[in-house]
Amino acid sequence: MLARAADNLYWMGRYIERTEHMARFMNVNYFSSLDAPNAKSQKRNFVLRSILFMAGDPVGKNDKVNEQEVLYKVGLDQDFPSSVCNSICYARENAHSARDLISTELYESVNKFYHFATSYPKERFVKTGLFEYTSQVTELTAILRAKIRGTLLHDEIYAIIMMGVNMERALQITRMINAKYNDARLAPGSYGDRFRNSYEWTTLLKCAESYDMMRRLYKKSPSSLSTLEFLILNPRCPRSVMNALNQIYRHVVSLNPMKIDDKDSTAFLVGKIRSEYQFKCIEDIEGDIQGYIDHIFSELTEIGSRMEKEFFHY
Amino acid sequence: MAKKQKGIFSKYDRNPKLFDELYDQQGEVNDVYKKLFKLYGQHSIEDYAELNGRAKASFFNQGITFRVYSDEKTNEKIFPFDLFPRIIGADEWAELERGVVQRCKALNAFLWDLYHEQNILKDGVVPMELVGSSENFLEQMVGFDPPGGIYNHISGTDLIRHTDGKFYVLEDNIRCPSGVSYVLSNRTALKRALFGVFNHYNAHTVTNYAENLLDLLETVKPAGVDKPNTVVLTPGMYNSAFYEHSYLAKTMGVELVEGRDLYVENDFVYMKTIHGRERVDIIYRRIDDQFLDPLEFRKDSTLGVPGLFAAYRKGNVTLANAPGTGVADDKAVYTYMPEIIQYYFGEEAILHNVPTYHCSRKEELEYVLDNIAELVIKPVDEAGGYGISIGNTLSPEEIEEVRNTVRAHPRKYVAQPIMSLSVHPTYIEETQSFEQRHVDLRSFALMGSDREFVLKGGLTRVALRRGNLIVNSSQGGGSKDTWVLKKSKKNAG
Repeated sequence: MLARAADNLYWMGRYIERTEHMARFMNVNYFSSLDAPNAKSQKRNFVLRSILFMAGDPVGKNDKVNEQEVLYKVGLDQDFPSSVCNSICYARENAHSARDLISTELYESVNKFYHFATSYPKERFVKTGLFEYTSQVTELTAILRAKIRGTLLHDEIYAIIMMGVNMERALQITRMINAKYNDARLAPGSYGDRFRNSYEWTTLLKCAESYDMMRRLYKKSPSSLSTLEFLILNPRCPRSVMNALNQIYRHVVSLNPMKIDDKDSTAFLVGKIRSEYQFKCIEDIEGDIQGYIDHIFSELTEIGSRMEKEFFHY
Repeated sequence: MAKKQKGIFSKYDRNPKLFDELYDQQGEVNDVYKKLFKLYGQHSIEDYAELNGRAKASFFNQGITFRVYSDEKTNEKIFPFDLFPRIIGADEWAELERGVVQRCKALNAFLWDLYHEQNILKDGVVPMELVGSSENFLEQMVGFDPPGGIYNHISGTDLIRHTDGKFYVLEDNIRCPSGVSYVLSNRTALKRALFGVFNHYNAHTVTNYAENLLDLLETVKPAGVDKPNTVVLTPGMYNSAFYEHSYLAKTMGVELVEGRDLYVENDFVYMKTIHGRERVDIIYRRIDDQFLDPLEFRKDSTLGVPGLFAAYRKGNVTLANAPGTGVADDKAVYTYMPEIIQYYFGEEAILHNVPTYHCSRKEELEYVLDNIAELVIKPVDEAGGYGISIGNTLSPEEIEEVRNTVRAHPRKYVAQPIMSLSVHPTYIEETQSFEQRHVDLRSFALMGSDREFVLKGGLTRVALRRGNLIVNSSQGGGSKDTWVLKKSKKNAG
């Protein structure tokens, strides 16, 4: 497989995944804030700032934000590089460039997705379309994942795409945790340890589509610790950082099983990092949550650049 | 008209001066079309408009589009596709196929000769200056034996049917002929929209093109290679034919590479993969000669691979088509095709050439001077349509002027009859009805060291503007699925 084509497919995977998380983050944050239990969480500005923070375009605490502008920018604006719509464009551009390697079915779905996003009317979006658009986007990404899993040969092409998908998932989940950690400090809960019991943890779980399963497992209202444990360390939660790392490991190893012991290989690095998470207790990080979030980011970045060097560099 | 028409053909306006593919000379529907005519006739125009819309959506969603550059954004457009197929009967096709193969082989023999002994020039069959002045003649290819002795592995022959009902070759394309992917996507689209009609006919498949392409390319692998590694070389995703490049690579199951994915070391070609380098043995290249290798041809080419031509000359990699084929498919050589076929094979050309009158020959000059109004007068040495006079568009004064020019320099001019392309019923969206539109046919032939293959089908291109003879997609042309029928009872009227 060509290094350039691998690069294209890796980024196709990343952009598909990014699209979904951004869209769901907008959707969940906006709609769950409408009847949030405390005044702070209900504030429009608070939610919009959180969305901008997640999109990598943070604004200061006192900056005025306009609802329609923010929603349009993050959702549909093709002049804003990190908009949901642009992620879809990039996903399709990458798929196009490696079109000969993927199935017709997958390409057709990516292409339909692209046409849906780029032709969605702005007027409709800012007035009434936010829910429809973002829900549709998350549905369509699910179709893409199904086409990836169900129509491609599970060979190195599949492995490369899944490496992209899981890298992005780990990153986006961590970004969400980061955003909601900040929000939880600003909008504490109303009883007990107010940070621990902030409503924002519930929102975070919903953003990660993990709320119901978390309730099923813990049988309690989400708190800071249980939420972080579930989303970072639980290998059975499909959205957790740990789960993503396990998958990355599996796919990297499948590319070249002989390289597991090579200290300079991506496989070795991912293996080393995931074993750290495997034996981590959530209580260990309680004292410095922000520090640990930054630590996850830097480890993911290291994996990313190692991959680049080993597989895509030419 | 012999019988009363109903349904979607009820308003069909048949100009009897044109050759209509659907009808015979008596105005009866041709045998091969009878069932189709009946089946389509059962649809109302509303049904048909809906099917047409669905077929368009299918192309759009599959991303079978080309890009149009407007002021601000790039837009994507689909190639207009017509749901009423063109049908070619088994016997007629067999003749076409034999003719196409004969031509491709003759072109190959001609190329071998040009780049070796040049006997055909020495014998005066083709004028020396015709080749000497051609910028497509590559000095670098002189004396080189391409693997398997094949130059034009992939050929596209453009055919038209004249008002006399016969097929004529309009042009040979043996550089990087394109369009075959549209043959396949047209078939797919027609199957999606109107699957029922296929039950009534036995048409040949067109999906076997890619497997034959790979098979035949592998017959010209470099010496000493057991399992050759074949790739398709594309200029990149912004090329207008990128869909076709990716389609062919995918269906052959080989890598689609750009120039930057390849490099040459010690005269061997390698591609850069996720596991390091991998040797490349056969390159189906879809970039022009001049861009292949900046060390040998255009120095500013970023599409090619430095050192590629040296590796080719060493016999370490096969290029298809071979560089330098352009010398044989230009308009000047075209006029000598019957002589070229005769010279190498001692055979009559099976496919008609549009007859060409060489004004340098006395008796032909007389004919030309007397019949300018019915002829196209072309200068021999000008390319790109310059200096062409079309007889039936000229005033009497202009005709006199042309006559004088030709008489003054007879060696500089050739003349051809004005050819009229046949027409085919075509659905026109604006008027929501079927109308006559001019069509041509591009056939696709492959040549390996041990056999040939002609795709049983082809690209029927349609000039969508009324009266227009130009079928190119850049000029608003569309296309049709083209059925070549098997010999069977089912296909009989």
